[in-house]
Parts: sequence; structure tokens; C-alpha cells
Amino acid sequence: MSSAHGSTLTREDTDLDTQLRGMLAAQRPYNVVVWNDPVNLMSYVAWVFRSYFGHSKERAHKLMLEVHHDGRAVVATGPKEKAERDVTAMHNYGLQATLEEA
Amino acid sequence: MARAFRATTRGYKADLEAHERRLISQLCADVISLLERRGEQITDGAAESAADQGSAAGDDVFAHFRRELAGLGVGLDDSAAAQEAEPAGLSAPEDPVLARLLPEAAEDPQEAAQLRRLTEASLRESKLADLRTARMLLESDPVTLTEEQAPIFGRALNDVRLTLATRLGIEDEADAEQIHQMAGTSQAATTEQFMAEVYAFTTWLQETLFSAMLELLPDDGDEIGSAEEGAE
Repeated sequence: MSSAHGSTLTREDTDLDTQLRGMLAAQRPYNVVVWNDPVNLMSYVAWVFRSYFGHSKERAHKLMLEVHHDGRAVVATGPKEKAERDVTAMHNYGLQATLEEA
Repeated sequence: MARAFRATTRGYKADLEAHERRLISQLCADVISLLERRGEQITDGAAESAADQGSAAGDDVFAHFRRELAGLGVGLDDSAAAQEAEPAGLSAPEDPVLARLLPEAAEDPQEAAQLRRLTEASLRESKLADLRTARMLLESDPVTLTEEQAPIFGRALNDVRLTLATRLGIEDEADAEQIHQMAGTSQAATTEQFMAEVYAFTTWLQETLFSAMLELLPDDGDEIGSAEEGAE
């Protein structure tokens, strides 16, 4: 195994470098950001935060108000793959969400 | 007159008039065809599918409104061409409704395009499945939703609201307020006034459903609270 990999190392140096950087990026924590919009109802957003992320009633309410007043809020933080899934889930609920490095 | 969603021992129930159920179902169908067209564009790269888009509207009273809702496939050719030029990522739909239903997942355009290539198809399929289920649920009278069906119906109804809001040009809270006022006072003489009334109606329906759902969510600290986590 190691010798086979060793032989490709010199030829595909940059590829492995990219892969390694990709792996390191995947380890770094990412934020799930939800953005304010005038259509999604407060009750709906609060329900999504509670049922999907399992946030407490108080935390869901606080985050919902943060989105409303500040225009955005970080609703979850985790590995990139998890953050991507969360962002897609938010889009499925019709919320505006993006991921960013924490 | 419609009676709002409320929690009963046999799920969430709403009494809607037959024409109200039919209207929401038609709106779901319009969003479905919009999403399906986006899928066809991406797989075929062809713009031919845009040609038959007006035919489904028929001669019913909502024909004009529904054509407007369907957005007439603005910018199909352009976005298909752009996708061919950059195979690494997938560019955002030019149609504002599709752009709202399938939003960018990152602020950086390059990262957003790459994420879109990975996630848009599954997001589209999830939305299509929700909307189709909602249409099926709208066949029953009264509309009755189980705990599992309620979020699905809610997501579909929300996509209908997002579609209407985008067509009505709602971009901030002031716009939303104006639309609600328009819905409250008018006799729906124009397409926009009719759309505003439908927007207000679906908003009210959504609000009653999720208020009822929030009340039934277990409070934290309850032993059963953790069992509900990640149920989605």
C-alpha cells in the first residue's frame, strides 16, 4: 500500500496537496448562517430551529429574533459535511442559509 | 369560509372550501412544473421544454395568474449556455422564483456554484416530493395531517408562499405589509390583487398550522423532549 502510494506521490504531488488541503478544510468547523427575509413567518422559523436542530424554546426564539433584527444568525456549527447538510435542509424549509468558515 | 388548522386527537385539521383546496393544489402544480423544467434544463441543456409551458393553464379563471406565476421561463437559454461553459460548478437559476427556491449555499460565488452542483438536484427532488404529497393531502376534506405529514405540507405551502412573494416583488417588511393591506381592501380586480389575496390566505393557513405545531412541540427539560430531536 505505502509503496504504491509512494510512487504516485512525485507525479501527482499537486493532486495530493489539493486533497490534503481539502481534507484539512473538511476538519475545520463551519457555521450555518440563516438570513432574514420578509416572507418566512416567525412561528415557522422558530419551529424549524426547534425541530430540526433540537434547540430549546428559548434558544430558538433568541436565534429567530437575532435573524430578524441583525439580518443573520449562526444557528449551528460543525464539520463542513454536516454544515452542508444543514444548509440544504434549511433550503428545503425555504429559509435563506449559507455556510461559512467558523 | 375556511376554518384554520388546529390540533386534534387525529392530527392537524383544516376545513377548506373545495375551490380553496383546488387553488392551493394548482399553485403546488405550478411550482412543480417550474422545478421540473429546471431539472430538464440541467440534464438536457436544451431550451425546447420552455415551448409548451403555457399549455397546462387551460381556460380556467386562474390561467392568466398561473402563467404569470410560472414566470414564462425567463432566461432559460442563457443559464443553460453558462452551465456548459463552466462544468466545475452550476450557476444559479436566472428565474427569480427558482433562485429563491434553490438559493446559493455560500456567499462566495465560486463556492456557491460548486455546492450547487453537489446539492441542487437532491434539494429539487425533496421539494418536488413535498409538493406532490401536499397535492395528495389536499384531496381530502377536511385536510388532515399526521405529525409526519404536517412538516411536509408546511414546507410545500411555504414554497408556494415564497413563489407568490417573489412574483409580487416582496423584498422587505414594508413590501410585505403593503401586500397584506392590498389583500385586505381590494376586490381583486387585477392579477396582482388576486395574487396578494392568495398570498395572505396561504400565509394565514401557514401561521395557524405552525402555531398549532409549536404548541405540541415538547418543552425542553421534558424527558420526551430529546426523543423529538433530529426527527426530520
